[in-house]
This record gives sequence, C-alpha cells and structure tokens, in this order.
Amino acid sequence: MTHLLSLFRFELAGARRGRTVPVFAAGFALAGAAVAFIGLSAGGVMEVQGFARTSVSLLQLVIWVIPMLALVTGAVAGADCHELELIAALPVRREGIVLARWGGWSVALGAALLVGFGATGMVIGLLAGMADGWRYLRLIGVALLLLAATLAVGLWIGVAARTRLKAVGIAVAVWLILVIGVDLVAIGILALLPPGNAAWWLSLLLMADPVDSARALGLTLFQADVVAGPTGAALRRVLGGAGAWALTAALVAWTLIPLAMAGRRFARTDL
Amino acid sequence: MIRLDELHKSYGGHLALEPVTLEVAAGEVLALVGPNGAGKSTMLRALAGLIRPAGGRASIGGHDVVTDAAAARRQLGYLSQRSGAPLTTILGDITTLVADVRNVPVSEALEALEGAGLGRRLGCTLGELSGGQRQRVMLALATLGPVTALLLDEPSISLDSEGAEEVRLAIRQARERGTAILFASHHLHDVAVLADRIAVMVQGRVVALGTLAELAAAAGVPSDPNVSDFPPVERIYQVLVKRGRNAVARRLALVRENAA
Repeated sequence: MTHLLSLFRFELAGARRGRTVPVFAAGFALAGAAVAFIGLSAGGVMEVQGFARTSVSLLQLVIWVIPMLALVTGAVAGADCHELELIAALPVRREGIVLARWGGWSVALGAALLVGFGATGMVIGLLAGMADGWRYLRLIGVALLLLAATLAVGLWIGVAARTRLKAVGIAVAVWLILVIGVDLVAIGILALLPPGNAAWWLSLLLMADPVDSARALGLTLFQADVVAGPTGAALRRVLGGAGAWALTAALVAWTLIPLAMAGRRFARTDL
Repeated sequence: MIRLDELHKSYGGHLALEPVTLEVAAGEVLALVGPNGAGKSTMLRALAGLIRPAGGRASIGGHDVVTDAAAARRQLGYLSQRSGAPLTTILGDITTLVADVRNVPVSEALEALEGAGLGRRLGCTLGELSGGQRQRVMLALATLGPVTALLLDEPSISLDSEGAEEVRLAIRQARERGTAILFASHHLHDVAVLADRIAVMVQGRVVALGTLAELAAAAGVPSDPNVSDFPPVERIYQVLVKRGRNAVARRLALVRENAA
C-alpha cells in the first residue's frame, strides 16, 4: 500500500512520545511484581512465586486490564483520525491511515508490555529460578494477541463514534460486555440448554469474545482446563487438542475484521 | 488545472453545494467569497477528497478526485480552515511525513519551515504554536513539492499583517510557477489584490463569477478610478450577496408554491 511505511513511522513516533507508553510499562512491571510477591503471602510466606504460579495469577489481570487499556486507547486514536485532514488530503489511502495507526499503537503498547513484564520476569528469574519460564513467555504472547485484537476493536469504535468522549463511552461499555456480559450469557446458555447442545453454543460464544478467547487460550497453554470455566470445558469437548489453534485464529480474526471495518468506515466518511 | 462539472454535495437532504461548474486554469487565481455557510469550504473539501460529492465530477490535472484520487492528490496542495492535524502532533514528525509522501527531500521541507520562521521549533507540538504559526506551517506543507493545484481555505485567517503579506507572496509565487489556485476568503482586500476571477457564493450557489471589473459592472457599482478605494470591493460584494440571497429566496418560494 502506498506510503504505508511512512505513515507507520509517523504513527509510531506519535504513539511513543508523551507519557502513555512509559506509564503503561511501569504499570505492567509493578502489577507483575506485585502478583509475584504477594501471591504466597496468604500462606504466611513472603517470597517470590515461580513463573508458573505468577503466570496463572497474572492471566486474570491481563484479561481485565489489557482490553480496557487497548479499547480506550484505540477508541481515542480512532476518533482522532477525523482530525487528520492534512494527511487525508495527501496521496495516501484512508485504509492505510487506519492500519498505520493500529500498527503504531500496537508496537508502542506491545513494547510497554514487553518492558513491564520483562522487568518482572527478570526479577522472578533471579529470585525464584527459571523453571517454567516458557509459561510466562506464552502468557506474554497471549497478552500481545489480546492487545492487538482489542486495539483494533477500539479503533473501529473510535472511527465510527467520531468524537473522543463518545468513543471512550462506547469503549467502556464494550469492555463491560466482553469481560462480564458474555460470561452471563454463557451461564444463561448452561441453565437453559441440555449439556450436549450447550457445548457447541458455548464454544461459539468463546470465539465470539476476544477476552474469553484469550482467557481460554491462556488456560489451555497452562494445561489447566479444569479451571477454564464452562466455556473452556465446552471447547475442550468440541474441539479437543485443536482448541488452542482455534482460539488463536479467533483472536487473529478479532484483529483483522475490526481493522478492515474501521478502514472501510473511515474511507467512506466525510471528514 | 482544477475543473468542476456539476459537482454538488448534500448533508441529510440539505443541499450544501448546488451543482457548480467552473474551471481554474494553470497560473490562474480564483477566489471564493460569500457569507458563512455559502458552500466555499464544502467545495474545497470535496475537491481535496475529504468529503464525497453527492454527484457531478471534479478533477485536478485531469485526474478525477473520486475515481483517481491518489493521482489527483499527488498534484494537489490543500490548506484546511481547521488545524489539519491533532494538536498533539509533533511539527518535525508531520513535516517528515509530508516530505516522504510527496517524495521531497526532508531538507527541502525543513527549508520551507525555516522560511516560515519555524525551523527551530521542530520538536514542538502543533498545540504549542500560536494560531498564526500553525497557519504558516500548514501553508508551507501545502505548497511543498510539485503541486500544480492549490486549494486554500481562509489562508490568512489568524495571521498578523506580516503573516498575511507572506501568504499573499506565497500565492503570487505559486501563480508564477503555473499553479492553479482556488482560495476561499473573507478578506476582500486579499481577494481584490490576488484574484484573477472571483466567484460569489450564497447558500450553496455560485451567484456571480467574473473579474472584479465584470462583477462591478454586474453589480451596477459606479467605478471611479479617482476614488481611493477603487474598485469598491465591499460595495460590490454586498450588492451581489444581497441579490443572490433574493434570487435564492425567490426560487425557494417558487418551489414551495409549486409543491402546494
């Protein structure tokens, strides 16, 4: 696409300036360190948890915090697209502007996540050893996939909403639906349908929510299906070992489809 | 060359720009004047590809602004009435981007900023610049590279007299290079000294089009070369706008009558 690299460099430069990225990196590092240190305190022990326990504890934090952060950031970035008259009047495609914006913020926030959780990982490695370090790396991978998907959804919201205030309001509402609303629907399905029929519906529901997809993917990677909840258990029954791939594909689709919709919407919008 | 052929635009049933046909030749300056809401910015934004026309055609250098948008915009410089970019944008970043996209060396873009007196403020955000400084930046970026058509929406807005003179100079230089220039302005003095032809717009319609002398004759304004403010631009403008408003009102009344 014409001048996509120039647009990406411009967006990345804009995204990494200011306080957002360092604040998020520090937040990730503090949250990770807090989970690693506090995890064993309930048992009266004050020492650093290993990678396996920290990863399971951090997963819950990841699936709540990252969607909120990425949805709101994406929504603001999407709404701001309407102010880019100078760029839109250049010989560039509007879809390219949206794609570059997503790319710039994905790299900037992804770097913040890597720096933050990387710092925590180094502390854990030094104090508790390297055992199960791969689980921690996989958790970071799941977090990055979730970040990319929810950022794309946020951009779509922002482009459609046009103003920052409206975009952020809708983003928060969508966050509530993704982290809580879909679980309530799952509980309803379980209550209403016989177990045989419910499995397929619950699996579909899992794919229809990027947050649930990331949660189930994270737990699948830890081979902790027992605690994956009703949707995770249903997925295991329906898809068997291919579940992790299906969930990864769902998260990739949750990135590509909203991005395409945001680009299409912006290309057809009057600025 | 800029060409509009029955180009029109509506917002939710309201015709913001009635079908307009006009042409700006290479090296010609055409000014759009008219009260707020006359459709001047709408015409410029449709030509710049920022809004989609409801119908008709428009082209820049022979390239259709809708079906061949990239080729049209390669030849086009556009100065928005708004800020043009979020106020958090760093001046150096947007300058580099425009230079990259226009295939102009960054050094040339920096020279243009230097010329606008902002070469040392590359690290500033647009929000840290004054309104006039932002306007100078946007004009420098709009005229960067091999543009053959310039669309300027209120180019001297928020500028002091020195800045306004720089804008006039930039427009004259662009005209000398053979650029077709279409600009909207409320500053009738700028219009009188810069424009080869003037289009008077009222409620989305071009109600008069011609040279200043032709418009003076059409308005029936006595033109006395001995009078210091000859030609009396304000008077010509007021007469033509009033006449245009009356014509639009008569037409609307006729439409209502027919509908009833």
